[in-house]
This record gives sequence, structure tokens and C-alpha cells, in this order.
Amino acid sequence: MTTITLDDISLKNFTLENLPRLQELRTQYFARRPEICIERARYITQYLRYHDDAKDSPEVRQAKKVSHFLHHKSAQFHDRNLIAGSTTSKALGAPLFPEFFALTLWPELETVSNRAKNPQKLTAEEAKELNLEIFPFWMDKNVLEITRTRFGNPECLQLFENLVFFIASKAGCISHAVPAYTFMLEHGLSGLMELAAEKEKALASPTNKEQQNQADFFRAVQISLQGVMAHAEHLAEEAEQLARVANDPEDAAEFTEMAAICRRVPAGPATTFREALNAIWICQVGIHAENINMAMSPGRLDQILYPYYRSDIAAGRLDLARAIELVGCLWLKIADNVTMVPEASEEMFGGAGTVPAITLGGVDSEGEDAVNDLTYIMLRVTELLAIRDPNVNARYDYEKNSSAYCRRVSEVVLNTKSVPAFFNDKANIAALTGQGETLEHARDYAVIGCVELASSGRDYPASSSIMMNLAAPLEMALFGGKRPITGEEQIGPVTPAPSELKSFEDFWQIFKIQLDWLVKQAIQLNEYMGAVHQEIMPSPLLSSLFIGPMDKGKDLIQGGALYNSSGATHIAFADVVDSLNAIEQTVFIEKKYTFNDLLKHVRADFSGPEGEKVRLYLQNHPPKYGTEAPIARKNARNLVRHLFALYQSHTNYRGGPYRPSYWTMTNHAGLGGITGALPHGRKAGKVFSSGITPVSGAAPELTACLNAVAELGGELVPGGWALNIKYTPEADLKKMSEYFAQTIEAYFRAWGQQVQFNVMTYEMLLDAKKHPQKYPELMVRVSGYSAYFKDLNEMMKDELITRTQYGLTDGHAVPLPPLQ
Amino acid sequence: MKALVGNINRYALHDGPGIRTTVFFKGCTLHCPWCHNPELISPEPEVAFYPERCITCGDCLAVCPQEAIRMQSEDRVDRKRCTGCGLCAESCPSGALARVGREYELEELIEILLRDRMFYKMSGGGVTLSGGEPTQQLLFISALLNRLRHEGIHTTLETNGLFFYEQFAAACLDYLDLIFFDLKFADSAQHQKVLGCCNRVIWENLSSLLTKRAQDVIVRIPMIPGYTATHENIDRIGRFLRQQKAQYYSLLPYNPYGLAKAAAVSMTPDQTLPEQAMDQSELLPWQEFFYGMALVTP
Repeated sequence: MTTITLDDISLKNFTLENLPRLQELRTQYFARRPEICIERARYITQYLRYHDDAKDSPEVRQAKKVSHFLHHKSAQFHDRNLIAGSTTSKALGAPLFPEFFALTLWPELETVSNRAKNPQKLTAEEAKELNLEIFPFWMDKNVLEITRTRFGNPECLQLFENLVFFIASKAGCISHAVPAYTFMLEHGLSGLMELAAEKEKALASPTNKEQQNQADFFRAVQISLQGVMAHAEHLAEEAEQLARVANDPEDAAEFTEMAAICRRVPAGPATTFREALNAIWICQVGIHAENINMAMSPGRLDQILYPYYRSDIAAGRLDLARAIELVGCLWLKIADNVTMVPEASEEMFGGAGTVPAITLGGVDSEGEDAVNDLTYIMLRVTELLAIRDPNVNARYDYEKNSSAYCRRVSEVVLNTKSVPAFFNDKANIAALTGQGETLEHARDYAVIGCVELASSGRDYPASSSIMMNLAAPLEMALFGGKRPITGEEQIGPVTPAPSELKSFEDFWQIFKIQLDWLVKQAIQLNEYMGAVHQEIMPSPLLSSLFIGPMDKGKDLIQGGALYNSSGATHIAFADVVDSLNAIEQTVFIEKKYTFNDLLKHVRADFSGPEGEKVRLYLQNHPPKYGTEAPIARKNARNLVRHLFALYQSHTNYRGGPYRPSYWTMTNHAGLGGITGALPHGRKAGKVFSSGITPVSGAAPELTACLNAVAELGGELVPGGWALNIKYTPEADLKKMSEYFAQTIEAYFRAWGQQVQFNVMTYEMLLDAKKHPQKYPELMVRVSGYSAYFKDLNEMMKDELITRTQYGLTDGHAVPLPPLQ
Repeated sequence: MKALVGNINRYALHDGPGIRTTVFFKGCTLHCPWCHNPELISPEPEVAFYPERCITCGDCLAVCPQEAIRMQSEDRVDRKRCTGCGLCAESCPSGALARVGREYELEELIEILLRDRMFYKMSGGGVTLSGGEPTQQLLFISALLNRLRHEGIHTTLETNGLFFYEQFAAACLDYLDLIFFDLKFADSAQHQKVLGCCNRVIWENLSSLLTKRAQDVIVRIPMIPGYTATHENIDRIGRFLRQQKAQYYSLLPYNPYGLAKAAAVSMTPDQTLPEQAMDQSELLPWQEFFYGMALVTP
């Protein structure tokens, strides 16, 4: 239990105007254009080409490779940020991971700097190095190609490469983790090194293969940690050099101080708030040398850093303004990198950040209120900066946290128009204990990436392993295992033509046959790729910052974490439920259409006046997910239940279960764009609904919508979900934040897991699409993360525009204006 | 037990405290030209027509058992023939035809009203009965309010005040937390002329209610240009309320939203009413007539 000592939890007297450093850094941040950084690719290629020892264990090999890079990584200070270290050599950099998809850049080396959408700068010299030195080495060495060779181009891999069935994310990353930083802060990396050295020594004469592996693992840990400490030394040297040449004595003093900090941490224990912040940041930089920058989430920073904040404040070493400035500096550091996105992937992933999640508030391991002064400081920084990354999330326990806290988070959402996202402690803790995690561990959960849940530093959930397009099995059920988009090719099992079916139950069985088959394919591929990761991409550095691996002597990729699982998320959930509803209602209950008629119109994309009439009927009459219509509730529940049981029945290569979740990044737009018409009256090529959000326009009443979603929450959705709600901004902010908070609390008490907001109108977003220059900083919630509206592709912009907008003064959907 | 309900509005913020669900009963004993819900005046089910949604497919024509569909007519529905059975609305693909008024069983309605219980609890809200005139279906609302009271839900009634007091009091009063009581005209002849009945019963009912439950009654006056919003009328109402020791009053600014809705059920809108809504600030000068009473703003 903590006590709030702040007089004003909103900290409204601290503004960017009186925090000039943050103001300056923020302005620079928005002016920066991403640049591709080839340092990592250069040095790991160099290592593998000239120094690699094939006799090394995978962990040792990885450690040496990463450490070689860290020893050569340039130490850079791009601006007046008080935190030393950066993930790349560029001020806003996109690192390259040839182990994954970096080679997709190869055909675009000439164009990536100047392409129309989200260009990423690459110098001619660096392009040449990639072209001649680096990329040729990797031709058959990335996860995807090794999987293909090793497993003989299996069917599941071909399905994935089709991209319209599911995405196997391991070809691009595992990352998605929350480390445990407390031990590192208390003992320093040298403390961790000593621990690893002792453990290795105890295994000096291994008697079996397992002990040999453990010894190798501990050696790998030491090698990687040495790399991080070496980089910290280089940062110190560079800072000292900059201090020597600085003209302004104040600048010189700042560099001198940063140098001193980098000499102390992360090698040694942190003794101040600032040291603790910088130690965590340098570790994040190290982790990013090993793991690609996808959702490497720092976790519960308001908890981890609180002791350092407290003691500095008590000792008079720190004041509020400085604390806010330092936290702001860390936020901007976390935002210093983007993913390299080739043009071809813009449609699927365009505009996404790297989604490092920070989690605030909620309860502590004992279940007591964990909100502290630092929580409010971090909320204020989030409000002031209003930047895409880090992805800030607020946990809320409606019994333990104060309503003042809930109202304050609401206020930040209304002021930033989008962040943070709200997480329900009760439902999410239940989701994790349902997975066998202890109550104490579940209470210490943090958000990973978009919305995924993990006990901090104990859970290795590979939460983005599979992204399943639920519209695919639906189409396969409608067309006997084929899909219009893949033509006459028999994809899934041959199932009876729907016209032969006697009942909706029969159709539901067929749908499950196709779904189960596709899920099995996706899981098979994930297992193959998991095996390849075990071989070429272990994470000894990340493992050393986890609870579990250091006891088991096992890398995370080998199942070293306390809890192991793989996450599968789902795209088009609401669209598929509504299609099931439409089929059940119009074909089997009303018998308004025969299944053949319905399919005829679906195939023809509801063309012609008759088709349009049928489409309107399907859109307006059958029960909809997002209302309390019994059929819609039943079908939504059945699908969630079925997916839960299906995934839980599979065990992954690390010995853990699969966990279903419902978030979609921008894939609901991309996949919707290439999927044919569906039985709920959706025309071909239209975007799908995001996350677990009801179809746009299908849920006219706010409370019914929240109730319908909330009842799916808890144990059946252990991976988390993203519910997007759009609200009309109101002039009376005070009143609005009151209703806003009340509405969230009611939704949470009904067991809703998560909700995130866009506080903006159709008209404003339409205008932003038309005149992007007027909205350079407009930040929106996509599906679990934030993006700048201008960076999104056209389909995703349309999806955001057409999302149902509710008025908080009447709880009703605002009618969508005519779209040009 | 059944009642004819025109609409159930969830997340209502202006019909009493907190977040509420408002049930609009169909059928009203007054005929105010400015009525916000003209489609709820008739005590029978009706069909509303929204021409902008119509795709002229003619499916309605095919299903209507009364031959009441007129494809050439702007109103689409021949009101003399229409029985409000709603078959046309069920078949209408685009939602251009919609049924207004549906019978609800008590249990069915209660189930719907309890769905937002969490929202009531979080906001200090509850359920409001409105209309139409809810007291026209007195036995039903009595049973409904009783049940809601047992469920611990705050209850509010919006009434035009035209009911038999003793019956109303016996059936509902104990189960009501709050009553919005509308007053329109102080002059009985004008009341008779514009609304279709004299105001004697209404004013007596208010008087009886105030004697018993003044702390739970908010008297509402719709401020209608050309009708109620006159110096003399408001002055008389103010004096009457003071005399009756009313504690709370509320002024409803005129808005024209009912006019468009009237067209959907083939009612001719009152041409004298302005198209412009009244601004909240225009209510200020009227407040002086109600000194000694507390103003309640929704």
C-alpha cells in the first residue's frame, strides 16, 4: 500500500512551457524522419563470416554474435536527452535483422529513401554495403528459409506465404516480452555476471548433456552481459569526449554526469532514480541488439522505479520537475526506433510503432493498491508528450484503486484523445490464474505490445506467434474447403455444400472442421519455426533478465521461463460472428433465403439491385454482435469458447499451451481489403472490424455494446483483447470525464478486459485524411497501439473514420456522414 | 401483463440522475403541437416511414395484408388502412419502414432494464418511465415500478399529470423516487384549445402530489415560443408553484426535433413553430418567475 504525497495528482503546473528540454526533444522527435541503421546487420554478419565457431552451442553462438555487435556499436548522443544510449546509430532508426525479413529490403534499396508512403532514409554507401557485403551472406539463412529447407517446404508454410489465411509471426520476431529489472537494478549486471559465473563453475564437469547445456547457457549469459557493459563503457567514453569539446559549461557538465552514470550502471547497482532509469534503458538497448524491436516492453516502471524515486525525493536529491523531465527523457528514448517496413508490407503493418508497452497502476503482488506518485508522474508525462511510443497502459482495480486515479487516467485519455488504454485488473488477473499462474504472479502482470498479458519477467508468451484470419475458415466452410481468393484450389478438408445442411448446428460443425484444420496448420508452422529459433535465435541476454532461466540454466527459447506459452490472435472476429448470426437467422430460422441464394449473392459481391436489396437486409435485420440479441451472444460465446479449448489442447515446443487473444494491429484493414463478400452484408474488400470490437454500425447502443463484449472476458481470453471505442469530444470536459470513468467501471464490473479510445469525430478524421498537413501530430489508437494518422495506409484511415462513434451524452452511435 | 412501448432508450442522461434507461410508453392523453415524440401519441402500433432510406424495392407492397402501401405517395402508408401489424417493416431491407410500438411482457421489459444495472450503480442512475403518458398503462407501470424497487433501482416518472390521483397514488407513488411533472398552460381555456382538455385535473394532481412528496417532484415547463413562453403564462405558473410550495422546477428549452418525427407517421407539423432550437441562455430571463424554488438542469 502506497501513499500519495502529491498535492495535485494531475501535476497541471508542469507544462512543456516550463520543461523546455522536453519541449525541445519533442519538437525534434516530430521533425525526424526514420533512417535505416545497418550497424547491427554489419557486425553480426562480420561475426558470422569471420569469427563464428560452429562447435559453439546455439546460446553461446548467439551471445558471441550479439556481444560482437555491442562491442562495435557506435555510442551516439543525438540530442540533449538526459538518458544515455540509443537503440540504433540514427536519431530515429530502423535496425535491420537479417535473421528475419531484412532481405525484403533488397529490391527496394534504391527506392526506400524516396517512396511516397513512410520513406526510410538509407545512404547510398550503406545501400551498397547491404547489397554487396551483407545481404548476399544471408540468402538462405533467415528463419523462413531455414524452416523451408529443414522441413521441405511444408503445406503450412505455403499457406502462410499466401498471407490470406494466417500470419506466422516467428518468421519476423518473437520478442514480445517484459523482463524483470529489479534484480538488475539491485545488483547490477556484474551481479548477474557473478551469479552466472558461479553457476557455470558448479557445472564445471558436466556429467550429462543437460548439464553441458546449462553450463553453455551460463557462459552465454556472461558473454552477452559483457557486451552490454562494454557498450555502456563506450557511452561513457563518448560522453567524456563530448564534455571535453563542449563550448557551453552546462553542456559539458551534463555530459560529464552522463559519463559518470554510464561508468556506474548498468554494471553496478543503481543508487539514484536517474541511474535506475539509465540502467534500464541501456539494458533495453542491449535487448534490442539481440531481439528485434517488436514490443520489447519495459513493464511496470512505476513499481520498479518507485524505491529509487522515493529515496531521492526523501534525500532532497530530486524534485518533481526533474523527475518529470527524466521520465520524459526515457519516454522519448523508448520512441527512438521504428521497424524497417518494406513497401510490400505497408498495407499490413503501415504506421505501426514498435509498441514497447509500459504498464501503470493496478494492484501489487499482495493485491493492494499499487498506484503511487510515480504513477501520476508517468501519466503526466504521457499526457504532455502525446507520442506514439511507448504504448502506455493503465491497470485499474475497481475495488482497490481510488476513483481519483480512474478519473485522472480518464482525463489523460480525453486530453490526449487516445492514451492510455485501460486494463481491468480483476478480469486480467483471472485470465492469468486460469492459465495456472499463481495469484501473486498474476497480480504482477504487465502489458506486452498491444494488449497481451504477462506476469512481469516470469512469463515468456511469444504473444504474437499466430495471427489467424477467421474469415478464411468461414469462407472455406461456405465453399467446401476452397476460398474465392485462391480459386479452385482445394485448401482445407472437403466439407459438404451448405445447401445440403439441415440446421445451423450442421454449419457450425463444418465451420469448426475448417477452423480446426487451419489452426492446426498454423500451430504446426509455429512449432517448426520455434525449432529454428532454438537453433539460430536464442536470447541469453534477455533470459538473464528473466525469472526462471537463471534457476533452470535454460534459455527462454528452450522453456527457461517460469511460464511458457504461445499466443494466437484473431482477425475478423466480429465479422465472422455476424456472418454466423446472419446465416442462422435468415437461412435457418426465418428461412428468408436458401443457403444457395445467400451464397449466390455472396459470390456475386451482392451486385445488381437484387443483390443490394439482400445485402441491406443482411446488414439491417439479423442479430448483431455488440447487441444483446440472444443468437449473437450465443455465437460470440461459442466461438470464444471453442477457440480457447482448441488452442489450450496444443502444447508448444517450450512445453506450454497456446493462448488465444483478440487484437489485430492493422491487419483487419489489410486482410479485409483482400477478402471477398461475407454473409452479414459486408462487401468484398471492405475492412474488417478491429480487435474484439463489434462491426462498425452494428452496435448502436453504447451500454449494450459494452455489455456484449464484456461478457466474453476473463479466463477464456488469456492473451488479452483490444476493444476500440470512439467518442465524440464534448465541450464540458469535466462532465464528460465523469461519465467516461463511470462507463469504464461498469464495463469492467461486467468483466471487460481492456478498452481503448479515440476521442474524435468522423468529420475530423475525414478532414485529416483530406488535409494531412493540418494534423501532423494527430495520434490515434489502432488496435492495441497508437499511430500517427498521417502514416496509416488509406484503408486503415478509412477503418478509423468509419469506426462507430458514440456520444457520451446520449450513449448512441452517431450516424456516419456520407463519405466521399 | 403487457404494455405498448414505443422505444427503450439506454444511457439516457437527461431523464433524472446518472446514467439511466428510459422506457417510452406509447399513447398520450394530450396532443401538444410541439411534442418531442409525436409517434408516441397514438395508443396503437404504427409504422414510420423514412423516405431517405427507401430503395423502392416494393417488398412492403408484396407483404402488406391490408393493401395499405402506396408506392406513389410521399407518406408511403395509407394510415386509414394500416393496422400497424409491422409486416412491411420486417421485410423492408433498408430500414425505411419501422414499426413504432411493440408489446412487452413485464418480465421481458424488466430483463432489458436490468442489463445496464452496472451503469446505474456506477453513476447513481436508474430507470425512467416516459412516453407518451406512462400512467395510461397504470397497472403495468405499477407492477414494473414495484419490481424495480425490489431490485434496488432508482425510479423516475415523467408525466403530463393527467391521471386519477387516488388510483395513481395507490398504484405507483410508493415505488417512485422522483417525478417530473409537466405544466404547460395556466389558462384553462387555452389548455383546452391547444391540448384538448382543461387543466383542472392536472393542477389539482400536482397540488396533491406536492402536499405529499414535494421533495421528490420536479415541475417541468416546456418553453415553447408562441405557446407557453409568454410573460403572463409563466408568471401565473410561477405563482401557483410558490403557493403550492413546490421545491424544484426545470425549464425545457424548445427544440424542433419532434417536427421531423411527426412527418414519419404522417402527422402535419405545426407550421407556427420555429425551426431553430432555443438556446439554454434564452432560459435565463424566465428564471426570475420561479424565485424561492431550486432550478434543476438536466
